[in-house]
Amino acid sequence: MTQLQARGVVRAYGPTPALRGVTLDVAEGEIVAVTGPSGCGKSTLLHCLAGILRPDAGEVTWRGHRIDTWSEAARSRLRRTEFGVLFQFGQLVAELTAAENVALPLLLAGTGRREARTAALTWLERFGVAEVADVRPGAMSGGQQQRCATARALVTEPRVLFADEPTGALDTLTGEQVLTQLVRLAREQRTAVVLVTHEPRIAAYADREVVLRDGLVDHTGLGLDVPLAGGAR
Amino acid sequence: MRPTTLVRLALAGTRTDTARVVLTALSALLATLAGLAALTVLAIPTPAATDENPNRWSEQYHNALLVEPGLRGGTAFALLMLMIPVLALAGQCARLGAPARDRRLAALRLAGATPGQVTRLAVLETGVAALLGTLVGLGAYLVGRDLLHRPDGRGRLALPTDVLPSPGALAAVLLGLPAVAALATALMLRTVTTSPLGVSRKAARERGPRPWAGVLIGLGVVSFAAIRPVAQRYDDHGVLVAWLAPLMFAASGIAAMVGVVFGTGWISYHCGLLLRRHARRPAALLAAGRLMADPWAGSRTFAALLAALIFGGGAAAQRAYFATKDQLEREQSRLAGVDGGANPFYLSTMDLVDGAVAVAILIATGGLIVALVEGIVARRRAYAALVATGVPRAVLSRSVAWQALAPAVPAIMLALAVGTLLGRGLIAEVSTGGSSAQICEAAAALCDDPATREQYTRIVYIPDVRRAVPVPLEHLAWLGAGALVAVLVTVGVGLLFLRASTALDELRTA
Repeated sequence: MTQLQARGVVRAYGPTPALRGVTLDVAEGEIVAVTGPSGCGKSTLLHCLAGILRPDAGEVTWRGHRIDTWSEAARSRLRRTEFGVLFQFGQLVAELTAAENVALPLLLAGTGRREARTAALTWLERFGVAEVADVRPGAMSGGQQQRCATARALVTEPRVLFADEPTGALDTLTGEQVLTQLVRLAREQRTAVVLVTHEPRIAAYADREVVLRDGLVDHTGLGLDVPLAGGAR
Repeated sequence: MRPTTLVRLALAGTRTDTARVVLTALSALLATLAGLAALTVLAIPTPAATDENPNRWSEQYHNALLVEPGLRGGTAFALLMLMIPVLALAGQCARLGAPARDRRLAALRLAGATPGQVTRLAVLETGVAALLGTLVGLGAYLVGRDLLHRPDGRGRLALPTDVLPSPGALAAVLLGLPAVAALATALMLRTVTTSPLGVSRKAARERGPRPWAGVLIGLGVVSFAAIRPVAQRYDDHGVLVAWLAPLMFAASGIAAMVGVVFGTGWISYHCGLLLRRHARRPAALLAAGRLMADPWAGSRTFAALLAALIFGGGAAAQRAYFATKDQLEREQSRLAGVDGGANPFYLSTMDLVDGAVAVAILIATGGLIVALVEGIVARRRAYAALVATGVPRAVLSRSVAWQALAPAVPAIMLALAVGTLLGRGLIAEVSTGGSSAQICEAAAALCDDPATREQYTRIVYIPDVRRAVPVPLEHLAWLGAGALVAVLVTVGVGLLFLRASTALDELRTA
């Protein structure tokens, strides 16, 4: 069942067009990779789908409701409750520990401090970084930081996770480990994932690949069947 | 690298770099004006004692602060004190746009500049900006001196526009200020390593600040209180007292001030610790994290304001002393049946001092705004990322407010307490009387006539009365409220910048 839809989305930065009418559906629990060359509009599409940016034309709907017309506060609430967002780097709050970073979305949602910390520790454990729970991002490796960021994006058990080049700053092995965990946990809780990447190997983790070129969907195809650790898929 | 290339590169940059240069120049201008004003007061010549002028007063001026040689030193000192918030403002300005400048310096390293050249660039930028500000300040001083030189009908002047500081003193200000600014930049860059791939700073210790600042404050307060007994003890050693008392005054005042400024680091850290332990809301948690991660930010940010408040607290104690003395003398005059008129001179002088404190708080507020806005702008990408993940801007706004106010309130109270203790260390008690006076209770003609004067004259004994100077709680409350308003205004201005700094377009720039 389609949860998230983009219909003829257009977005420009000044005179430079980024999206020129993109249409895309994301079903519940589906993992969609958005790929394409640099500057083709991948990140802009992800930002429009997540309600971070408003399209100049076209519409974005979430479970039948047009979210592109919503106020910033309403879209912000949607991102906090239904969506998770993951970037390439620089998303953890440098002054908070890993556990506090992961607990932050829960605290924002009104969860009690103790319960939020317990949930954060559980998620850090799932990503294999429980040992850095009380460490600040500056003292962690890139892989540990990205695992914490992924745990933070999933801790509210969002319906859709938007990941913009989530392994772009990591070495190949660490990147694959992070992505394997992300995909496994997303599938476990039936979270849809919109994965922006320019690496075919990363795109291969998806159920479906949408290739953008010059702000338009060039073609859509099935992702490659990559075996994941533990046999999950 | 040729000097012209060095200057061109030093002054190249974005609008933020231009703003930094302009603000640095403006701070140097203000510091120059304050410095030159102090030097001008000190340059007023003291005339030789004559029968008409036994007190060696410079009677070409209106104001007793300029007329009496004994008061000119204090006036100059107060003007020099104004340089503290101004120099602190310069320090805040030097941090403005630091990330952009760091990236520019890293790009220069990537293009082949050596670490020494990069340091010289940064030093040159500050030095040139400060020199520019100093020169404009000198111009403004000379023009202002000319414009304000308006003798009244009796040929008296409102300001010392008839004297100039010595050429040596002028040169010291003109060259000293840019040199100090450049030196400060060089010292700041000692903890910074600019590599072709970016800029790194020596990591701060994970451990929080220790409470050593308390020792410094204690030493300052105790030695300040010792000035009077020491001066009385060595009263017969005129020369010793002449240099020992001012030395103790300056050293203990500076020790207490440095103690309060560094103590704010300790306060910030422990505010963060308390918030982290007890906060239930994300805004407080975010603020706690920042306060603990960089507790010295509070010291840097509030230094000028706290210095002004210590000075203000001391001035409040001094005013309370003069008010008590005035009241006591009136009471004694009334008891003795003498028409004792009030002497408003000292209280009017305190009005001037309070004015100087208000100006200092105003300048310090400017520094606060620069520091807070710089902190927000420097973190704009992190803020944008948080907003993108759904953190409401209101939460970020509240965290900025928490971060500013949580350490500000105790730090303001500490500064006022230390200032008051310093002031009361010198004068906690008023003592007057213990003398007798002859009073002629008749018409002037009878009193002036030696034959009748004695008939109408009586001797009045004025008892020795001592009275404790009350703590000027109301005055301190006003100062504290003023400082708090300054911080609130700063937070308000900062929040205007927060909105722009959380624009999600920031996510497109790495």
